[in-house]
Order: sequence, then structure tokens, then C-alpha cells
Amino acid sequence: MAGGNEVNVNESRMVVPLNTFVLISNFKIAYNMLRRPDGSFDRHLAEFLDRKVQANASPVNGVVSFDHILDRQTNLLARIYCPAPDPADVELPQLVAIYELQKAPSPNPFPVIIFFHGGSFAHSTSSSAIYDTLCRRLVTLCGGAVVISIDYRRSPEYRFPCAYDDGWTALKWASCQPWLRSGKDAKLRVFLAGDSSGGNIAHHVAVRAVHSGINISGNILLNPLFGGNKRTESELKLDGKYFVALQDRDWYWRAFLPEGADRDHPACNPFGPNGVELEGLPFPKTLLVVASLDLTQDWQLAYAEGLKKAGHEVQLLYREQATIGFYFLPNTEHYHEVMKEIKSFVRSDL
Amino acid sequence: MVDSSYGQESSANKSISTSPEIDGLLAGVGYAIRPSDLPHVAERLEKLDSAIIAAAAAGLPPEFLCSDAVHYNPSDLAAWVDSMSMLTSLSSPPIHPAPAPWPVQIYAPAPLSTPTVDLLAPEDAGINLVHLLMSCADSIHRDDHPSASKLIHEMQILLPRVGTAFGIGKVAAYFIDALDRRLRPRPSPPAEDEILYHYFYESSPYLRFAHLTANQAILESFNGLDRVHVIDLNLKHGLQWPALIQALALRPGGPPFIRLTGFGPPEICEVGRRLADFARSVKVPFAFTRLDEIQPNLLRVEPGETVAVNSVLQLHQFLSDPGSPGPIDSVLSWVKALRPRIVTVVEQEADHNRPGFLDRFTEALFYYSTVFDSLESAAAGAGPEVYLQKEICNIVCCDGEERVERHEPLASWRARFGRAGLWPVPHGSSAFRQASMLLTLSSGEGYSIEEVEGCLTLSWHGRAVISASAWHCGDGVDAPPLAGNIFFNGYSGSDRRE
Repeated sequence: MAGGNEVNVNESRMVVPLNTFVLISNFKIAYNMLRRPDGSFDRHLAEFLDRKVQANASPVNGVVSFDHILDRQTNLLARIYCPAPDPADVELPQLVAIYELQKAPSPNPFPVIIFFHGGSFAHSTSSSAIYDTLCRRLVTLCGGAVVISIDYRRSPEYRFPCAYDDGWTALKWASCQPWLRSGKDAKLRVFLAGDSSGGNIAHHVAVRAVHSGINISGNILLNPLFGGNKRTESELKLDGKYFVALQDRDWYWRAFLPEGADRDHPACNPFGPNGVELEGLPFPKTLLVVASLDLTQDWQLAYAEGLKKAGHEVQLLYREQATIGFYFLPNTEHYHEVMKEIKSFVRSDL
Repeated sequence: MVDSSYGQESSANKSISTSPEIDGLLAGVGYAIRPSDLPHVAERLEKLDSAIIAAAAAGLPPEFLCSDAVHYNPSDLAAWVDSMSMLTSLSSPPIHPAPAPWPVQIYAPAPLSTPTVDLLAPEDAGINLVHLLMSCADSIHRDDHPSASKLIHEMQILLPRVGTAFGIGKVAAYFIDALDRRLRPRPSPPAEDEILYHYFYESSPYLRFAHLTANQAILESFNGLDRVHVIDLNLKHGLQWPALIQALALRPGGPPFIRLTGFGPPEICEVGRRLADFARSVKVPFAFTRLDEIQPNLLRVEPGETVAVNSVLQLHQFLSDPGSPGPIDSVLSWVKALRPRIVTVVEQEADHNRPGFLDRFTEALFYYSTVFDSLESAAAGAGPEVYLQKEICNIVCCDGEERVERHEPLASWRARFGRAGLWPVPHGSSAFRQASMLLTLSSGEGYSIEEVEGCLTLSWHGRAVISASAWHCGDGVDAPPLAGNIFFNGYSGSDRRE
């Protein structure tokens, strides 16, 4: 545990706007109450405290959303966000979902973003307000993307590989939907995106995709969650200083990874001693966003190196003085510049 | 710094629109907090963080890590942080006792009937059926009965192709039947109300959720009181009360004297007798009175009695067409005049009281398709559906005084209670936990409980179906304490940890 914590607590307050500080500190305090030392999790209290919003098929800022079951067997739910349809085509909000899901492939290309929310595999859902807001913004940002936010199964109740299985199910579902295809070639132009554990999931789903012949246009990883047995310099230096403590990270890995596994498990450490080879596979280009005040950054940078060594394209955005969660509130340069890069990344091949 | 005008404004909890006084970005992610409160809250969060770290270093969990702490209103961040601070005994008492002014819509306004699931199965026949239903409803809306009849005929032909065993076909069948009954009224077969009610009670968590959350709020409000009077505006079969009687029997210090007044027809005397027998068996002093719906003036409140008023899926029957006067206002005045410590209300989270037929029909179609879908997961058979069929027929076929299923959403009720001088009592994490455990133990996956501004809703696949709220009358009657550690064990057994 790092020393001099009182000073450091004030430091984190200095580097983010006040409302961001309040938001992320609130999560930190609340999450502390949910993790139990024996590895169990107060799921009921977690759901009570999580601020959620319902889907809304009436246009808000030009975006509509609806919840949809992707797979009846696992009850895999997703929240789908679309640009609001022309009122001439759909008179009632209740009919929006039917209308969208029935559409034929569009001649005008549009991106589809399958989004995996963060929360260290344990927290949040696709209906969490922080993620609902973010996904809505992505629709508009990317010029009318369809965003599909996956309500994957969470740990500790569901360990590896459940979240990855759910991501894979979602991708397979998307690849069978005519309404998600666009352009002259009626192609599914799909990006896998996620923050924190969601970024980790996006990577692993992409790996499955390349082994199965589904083409991914790109991966967007925001502060993705990776780790390893070794304690890195950034972990030691930043432990406890900017909202995140190393022992909390450890707790979440213990809750997600199989019993008895350590942090060199390939889920946690994809380019570590147990990692899979990605060389020669059509792995998608990656936009990787790393915050300089995130204690896991060394693992994220190692991830970028691993992709490059395997011959894959990585666009690294290293944000100086950014903390985790900067993308929740549009109140910093970090937010606006990263969003701009995401927009270019997604629209560049359309 | 306390701004006393804020105190008055916020305690009124009037229907203010999204308040310009709260931080807009945080509102967008679910938190209501004034910008002026941010520094104070930030400081409290820092202190809490230090307290956690210090306690961990000393090998002890801070007191507030104890899972027995009860949380309320997580969206009111300032109040939540203050209550956490008090639990850790951090120096001063809360500086801001008054909550931030509640924006009525922290979230974007959502239409209630966003369809889910089977309605969106890709079979064209099912989609056609939906469009035909809409067209038929539109014809009726325009008083074009010949077209409506034709469409009904078409749908009846299409229906077997879609299949009525599940999904859109099943709910459509009930709505087509209701449309037909509207055009050609005929008597319904007599329904075994009690049996259907029991089917519905057992095959889905809605009623048990209603009873559990209401009972938890009542139990908390009765803390420390010796003479309590529960007034049930619609006793029906009395299924709610054994659990409350039992919980009161088990409370430390012994049970209070309980009076239960139930409104309903003479048959409910039998229910009252059974409840009295049960109370006797658990040694709870108990008395039951029946009142007719039309004679509330005969209600006696004894001096020294604390009153709880309870209404489950029933208050909407006092509503009328929007804009025209109805019994609801006098009912709420009467409730308020009883000076209740708590008023527990559970209502369908639906907008079935719109004046336009097409609107009402559409809302109902998608609402009941959600509910039917949830029943399907329980393989419940036709019983609960027939129970709901009465509601569907009432909404589709009836008008004026005959239409009693005038469901309105929580937002409307909030405004109405506010105007009547009733202020919200938030359901806390203990009620939430009990309700969640109810779902885990007894219901299919797909249900969830949400906490929104102190009220709890039970949802199916993200779509709210039923919402539970609690109110008090202000006016010098103390608000029920937000008491922790009072657990309602009616459904979860003795072990609070899952």
C-alpha cells in the first residue's frame, strides 16, 4: 500500500474537474462496500446503488434505444441504439424496434459498434446511466452508428469465460442481421469497443472472430483491463493515488479468473507467458486509449507492443494527466480529443 | 452553508421540471446534486476514503462496510454521502439535511411501452398482426366500425398462422377478442376470481413484490410504536397481511396491537377471521374491521394509534378521464386527513388512462405483451392470463365510469401526491434486497428490481411493469424514520446474507 495517502487523495482531486472527482470517488467508495474479503459480492446492494435508465424509443437528441434479447437460452440482453427513424416511417415509439429489426441492408454504409461496458467484470450493466449516456453519444459521434451494448454475465457469479461467450454470441447474432449490413457490398461493418473490462472482452471476442472468419473493422479499447503476476512500475507508483488501488484490482481478477488461476492466465495477460499467438491472423486494427494516471497502464502499453510485434496495427492515444473514467463526462480536453479520434477511426474505412 | 430557502423548496418536492440548480453532467449519469454542494461532497468523499484506508491498515473494516447499513436515495449524492459519514462517525453532523431539489426527470422521458422480446421475433405474420391491430384500433378511434370489423375478421384468419401458444400471437388473441367485444358487447363468462388471483399470485412475482415492499415500508414506519392501524383500501384475499403480522410478532420488544381495517364486500369478513386466527396463533393482539367502499366516514382512528394506509393495484380505480374531476382527489384528501405515518402504494407502471383510444390501445398492447412474456417464462398456463384478460377488456371495451383500469405511470402519481400534500418516503436498500432475493428464489431470469428516486420498480427484461412507492403526510406528523436494521423476513428466512 502506498504511503502518504492524504496528500495523494488531494492530488486526484486536482487533476480532474470537481464533478468528475465526485462521480468517480463515489464509485470508489460504493464499490468498496460491495467487495467482500471472502471473494463474494453484495450483488443486491450493487444493483440498488447503480443508477440505471430505461431504454427510450422516443428520440432524444436524435437517438432511440430499445432492449432486445439476443439469445433466449442465456437470456442475453442488449440495448440497441440507433439514429431516430424518420417519423414518416414510424409513427409510434413502440414500433421503432420492429421497424429497425426488419430493415433491409442499407445502401449507405454505417458502422455498427458492439460495446462492452466496464466495471472490472463485476459492476454495471448496459442500462447503467454512465454507459447509456456514452453509447448515445457514440451514435451521433460516429455519424449515425448503430451501437449494441451487451449485458454480459458478470463475476463473481459468472467467471471466465462467460463474459467472452456472451460477447461472441452477440457478434454471431450481429453477423446474421440483415438490418445491420450496409454499403454497396451489404457488409457488416462492425467495431468491438469497450472500457475497462469491456476493453478486455473486446480483445478476446476479436480473437475468436479472427479464428472463425468473421471480419472486424476495428477494436476500440478505452483503458482496457489487463494485468499479470508481475508488479509493474506504474502499478507500484500509482497504487492508491488516482481512485484505484492495486489490491482492488487483484480482487476483481480473483473474482473473474478461474479458481486457482493467477494473473498470467491469458484472459488477464494475453501477451504473457500463456498468451496465444496472433501473428498471421487477420486481427483488426486497434485504437488503444491509455490514461497516464491509470495504474494498469504498463499492461496496456505491453498489450500495444504485443499487437505490434504480431504485425497488427495499433493507434495508441496516450493521455497525459488523464485518470480512469475521463470519458464519462464531456468536461475535459481528454474527452473531446479522444472522441474525435474514435470518430476518425470508425469512419475512416466507410 | 445552508440555504434555508432550498430547505423549503426541496421538502415540498413539487413537480419541478429538470432543475437548473443541479449539475447537468452528473444528472445525465443519474445523480442529483447542486453545484454548490460539490465541494462539500468531495471533501466528505475524501474523508470517507481516508477512513477506509486507515481502517484497512488497522485490519478492521470501517463500520459502514457492514452490510447491515441501509441505504436510501443513491441519486441524492449529498444526502447519501452525509449518511455514510454519519455511520463512520466522521466529525460533524450533516450540513445539508434537505435533499437536493428533485428533478422530476433526471433521465430523458421514456415512453412506457418499449416493446421487448417476442414481439420482435422476425416472423412476418407476427409483424402483420401488430400492424393490423394498430389499424383496427385506429378505425375504432375514428368510429369507423365497418372497417374495424373487417380488420378483426382478417386478424382472426391470420391468428392461427401466427400461433397463439406464446409470444405475439398469444397476447394478440386477447386483444383481438377485446376489440371484438367492444364492437359486439356480450357478457363474459363468470370468472372464479379468487382462483385466478391465486394463479396470478403464484406464477409471477408481481403481487408478492407489491406485498413485500409495502410491508417492509410499513414495518419500518411502525418501529417503536405500540398501537398501529393498517387500512387496506382493497383487502381482496388478504394475502399481504400474514407476513406483516408475523414480522411484527418477531420484532424485538414484542408486537404492537394491530388493527386492520379492510375495505371490500361482505365476503372479506371471512378473510378477516382467518387473519385474526393467524394473529392469535403468533400471539399478536389483533382486531379486524370491514368497511364498505362507500362508507369511509365510518373509519375510526383511535387516539394514540399510528396509521398506515395501503393500496395495491387499486388506487387507479379512483381516477377518471384526464381533465375531468373524479373521486381521486377526495380519496387522497381523506387519506391525508387520517394523518397516516405512511401510505404504501403499488401501481401498474403503465399509461392506460389516455383519452385517445388508439394511444390507450397501443400502450396496453405493449404493456401486456411484456407481462405475458414474463408469465411465459413461468410456464404458468392460462390462469394468470385470464386474470389479466379482465384488465385488458376493461381498458379496451369500456369507457366512462365502467372503465376502472385507469393505470397511470409513477411520474403522474408523484405529481398527484405532491398536490395532495403527500411527500415521498424512499424505499431503501433493505427493501430492495428483500425484493431481489424474492426474485432469485422464486422467479425466472429476466426480472429485475430498479430503484428510481426512492421508488422500487419490478421490471421484465428492462421494461418496468409495476412500481412501489411510499408516502407520508407531512404536516407535523413525523416522517417515518429511515431506520436501519429492520429486516422484513417474511420471504427470505432468517439468514440475511445470500
